[in-house]
Amino acid sequence: MDQLFEFLQALKDQTGLAHIWWGNLVMMAIGATMIWLAVVKHYEPLLLVGIGFACIIANVPGSDLILPGGLFDYAYKGVALLIIPPLIFFGVGAMTDFAPMIANPKLVILGAAAHLGIFVALIGAKALGFTLAEAGAIGIIGGADGPMAIFVTMKLAPHLLPQISVAAYSYMALMPLIQPPVMKLLTTREERRIVMRQARKVSRLERIAFPVVIGIIVNLFFPPVAPLITMLMLGNLFREVLVVDRLAKTAANEVMNVIIICLTLAIGSTMSADRFLTLETLEIVFLGLVAFVFGTGSGVVGAKIMNLFVTEKINPLLGSAGIASVPIAARVSHKVALEENKENYLIYHAMGPNLAGVFGTAISGGILLALLGVK
Amino acid sequence: MNVPDTLFGALLVSLIDFFLSILMISGIGIVLALFPLLNRIGRIDDEALRDQRH
Repeated sequence: MDQLFEFLQALKDQTGLAHIWWGNLVMMAIGATMIWLAVVKHYEPLLLVGIGFACIIANVPGSDLILPGGLFDYAYKGVALLIIPPLIFFGVGAMTDFAPMIANPKLVILGAAAHLGIFVALIGAKALGFTLAEAGAIGIIGGADGPMAIFVTMKLAPHLLPQISVAAYSYMALMPLIQPPVMKLLTTREERRIVMRQARKVSRLERIAFPVVIGIIVNLFFPPVAPLITMLMLGNLFREVLVVDRLAKTAANEVMNVIIICLTLAIGSTMSADRFLTLETLEIVFLGLVAFVFGTGSGVVGAKIMNLFVTEKINPLLGSAGIASVPIAARVSHKVALEENKENYLIYHAMGPNLAGVFGTAISGGILLALLGVK
Repeated sequence: MNVPDTLFGALLVSLIDFFLSILMISGIGIVLALFPLLNRIGRIDDEALRDQRH
């Protein structure tokens, strides 16, 4: 009988049951909540289903999938080796029409103005005791650009990947709730009702020249973030030349879908209880919110400052679209403007600063990496 | 550049980064403002390109 008991005990010790603790159960509940949010509330389902599932599996003690050599670990290696973020940008480039940005270049500056949140979060993180490299990675959450946040984090503070990526993607999904109160607080009703003049038509030659020119500029001035923007521009070139339709569709669909699966598994698999259930996580989540609020506010104020110098006034709601997170921020600007004037369709105009925000985040990230001596 | 790992360092990095970002993105804006000049070179017909697609 004793022998049988010892045998069963040894069997139990070999399973994960012997190592489970309350942290695992909390993280499994968080993973399940993510799947629920995706399925029931339709919050970022493409991301949350995979992240939630991998988060649950990562917290099953004894699961080999997240250990070195495990399948999820290979997905994580795609992030760690900085292969996945540029490939996401490749797909995004193939899906994106940059004409609103080309058509109205004066709005491009809002793509930088809306990034004050990055620096507020960076300073806040340093004040809370994070290292400067960690603070830089946390600050980039304010760029509201998931792949860029992952890219910069992997270069500056890879151990913070789960917290930063979850904060960045969560707040991007919550932008329709976070941004409008800030936008309304900083603008008058008259300002929100400003109607923008129709933008000019952008020719095919300009559309084809754009990715080539930007590719050269970024590689010349911002080598640390060049892989991301270069791939964004390659995807966009495939789209705009019209002669490689097949490649553009593959980049925008098949490649993008495979990469999203790998990315979500990689992020979710890093969300183990011992790494995630810390005070640091709460601080990062709070700083991420601060970054989004300040970024939205600085974009709106930036647009209002521009109005002091231009004859043809711009709607300051366009400023908050400069925070990137394409196209969510542009949609929020459009929706808030529409509440004031049912005939004011801002979406096309808002896409200009919104797309410029992608470059703004890349430039901020590139300068940050250069200043901190990271290649 | 060796930035001190202090609050002052964070402030310094933030200030330099913010103003350089505005400067750089303004540069991109200026380049884009010149884009209409490309149309003087010629015109590309969308339909002709679509006919050649692979």
